[in-house]
Amino acid sequence: MKNCKAILPLLGAAVLLLAIFRALAPAFLSGSNLLDLAQQISVNAILAFGMTLVILSGGIDLSVGALLALGGTAAAAILPAGGFIAALAAGIGVGALFGLGNGLVTARTRIPPFIVTLATMLVARGCALRFNEGRPMSIALTQETFLALGNSRCAGVPLPAIFMGALFVLGSGLLHRTRYGQHLYAMGGSREAARFTGIGVARVEVIAYVLCGALAGVAGLIQTAQLYSAEPASGQGFELNAIAAAAVGGASFKGGRGTMLGTLLGAIIIGILDKGLNQAGVHFSFQYMVKGAVILAAVGSDVWRRKETR
Amino acid sequence: MNRQPAAFLSSARRPPFPFLRRLLLCSLIVLVGCEKKPAPDTAGAAGSRFFAVSFQTLNNPFFVDLNDGLKQVIDEHGDRLVTLDAQFSSLKQKNDLSDVIEQKPAAIFLNPVNWESVRATLIAARNAKIPVIVVDAPVPDADLVLAQVASDNVAAGRLAAQALGDARPQAKVAILQYSVNKACVDRVAGFTDVLAKSFPGATIIARQDVKGTSEATRPVMRDLLGRFPDLDAVFPINDPGAIGCVSAIDAAGRSGKVLVVTVDGSREAAQFILNGGIHSTSAQFPKKIGSLAAGAAYDHLAGKPVDKEIKVPVTLVTKANAAEFVK
Repeated sequence: MKNCKAILPLLGAAVLLLAIFRALAPAFLSGSNLLDLAQQISVNAILAFGMTLVILSGGIDLSVGALLALGGTAAAAILPAGGFIAALAAGIGVGALFGLGNGLVTARTRIPPFIVTLATMLVARGCALRFNEGRPMSIALTQETFLALGNSRCAGVPLPAIFMGALFVLGSGLLHRTRYGQHLYAMGGSREAARFTGIGVARVEVIAYVLCGALAGVAGLIQTAQLYSAEPASGQGFELNAIAAAAVGGASFKGGRGTMLGTLLGAIIIGILDKGLNQAGVHFSFQYMVKGAVILAAVGSDVWRRKETR
Repeated sequence: MNRQPAAFLSSARRPPFPFLRRLLLCSLIVLVGCEKKPAPDTAGAAGSRFFAVSFQTLNNPFFVDLNDGLKQVIDEHGDRLVTLDAQFSSLKQKNDLSDVIEQKPAAIFLNPVNWESVRATLIAARNAKIPVIVVDAPVPDADLVLAQVASDNVAAGRLAAQALGDARPQAKVAILQYSVNKACVDRVAGFTDVLAKSFPGATIIARQDVKGTSEATRPVMRDLLGRFPDLDAVFPINDPGAIGCVSAIDAAGRSGKVLVVTVDGSREAAQFILNGGIHSTSAQFPKKIGSLAAGAAYDHLAGKPVDKEIKVPVTLVTKANAAEFVK
């Protein structure tokens, strides 16, 4: 399968990193540590899945960090009165709504998505800060179902990791098994050509942003449950981590190239780095340098390999 | 659709990624070949232990000094301290600490980003039987932690209000609070309490939430100065915030007209007190907090009882004694 071969270098990098950190921190490959890794990367991976859809369309979404905070705070605000289902709907719905705004403005105007979603980022952040005057809102310990989203385990696997897995399967299915996925790749490859073949380019684009916003809402719910509280000021810079995961995973900012599997591996590689550098006791200042260098190297080698074979 | 990757992979000239494949294989062999060694006995004898500390930020000399206080005591015992910077992100703090908990440190020192969101971390540490000592900012789940070591933050706020009221009893005051953090909440509580009780002539005309850093505080203060021409005193909750305020006041051309009182007692703020700009700061002793926290950890490891709440007193720094704090 060509997809499997295309991600071979990523797999190699992940295994190499695991081996390095196994040497530096003896218990690195223990089962509990790896499950912890899966839990830790879940928020970033879910954001990155949405980001991949938008990047495939040739766009970018800077608002996901703010939407994560807004989704979490909206859910926390609804939860005491409205209950579990209403809170889920509020968290995901508000993300999707802002995503719809992103998509409509991007598709209908000539404003670049970078600017559109930058504006949305600020508006959504402001909306999140309206709740409880910007203070964190704690989730009552009696809301066990909601808190389970972030803290429970199913057969030993943390629930956030299971959600990540389920969304990965759904996302891959959407990209590789549906007509929508084909249209998204076609549009990202060449918007003009896609339009001439009769693809509703605007509709495809809007749906990508809506899904990206909704996934940011899901990530917000998980983060809120994990932290036992919704923080209006949280999620700053998360969009950049999500973009980094997609980029390391081989997504091209010109659109039309990238896979969910690649993005998942990108998120895993970044997660291994974060965890490994912490457990190897590397000073936090060096952690940033190493992370930056690895991201550049990963994307650089990808670009270089493609150029060499042209 | 972009077919380049597929075209490259089907190229018959040479197998794709020969180097990477070999590397992958070797790594796998290494991984499988190593049987799992038991984790080192970190709770064991002195000299082999390791401790971890997570700060909400290290972009504040206060926490750097606190870290020095911890490190000094831990170094003296020949043990190791791992310092983590949460960068104001609760999720990063949680992830950083779960990384550390997997390695079974002798104890964890925690300065929470958000006093409520550390619950999951505290539960995980308890399950792993790792004592947690909270430094600087308290947490609500006191039963989940071994001890809390902090400045008397309410007293710090009271001192600031007293200094402000004495200097300008009719002041029109702005408060720049940071309500995610319990220590800051306590300072504001002490401040407003004394101001209301002892200085009825003073009024609070604005309260705004801002992260306690110079770069975050400066623009907020500039806006307040623009909105309130009669604003003549400000209480930013810490020294970096106060320095941001001074910069905003200078830029607005109102140097000397707006009184700045704050909490921390850093070298930088003491310099500003000597040269004008800041009126007073309620000095905390972060190194002391660090050394007391480390001391409490070692007492606990030696089986001695530890006080649940350790409050470190604060002192007011004004022009009269600022020179001592510039060192």
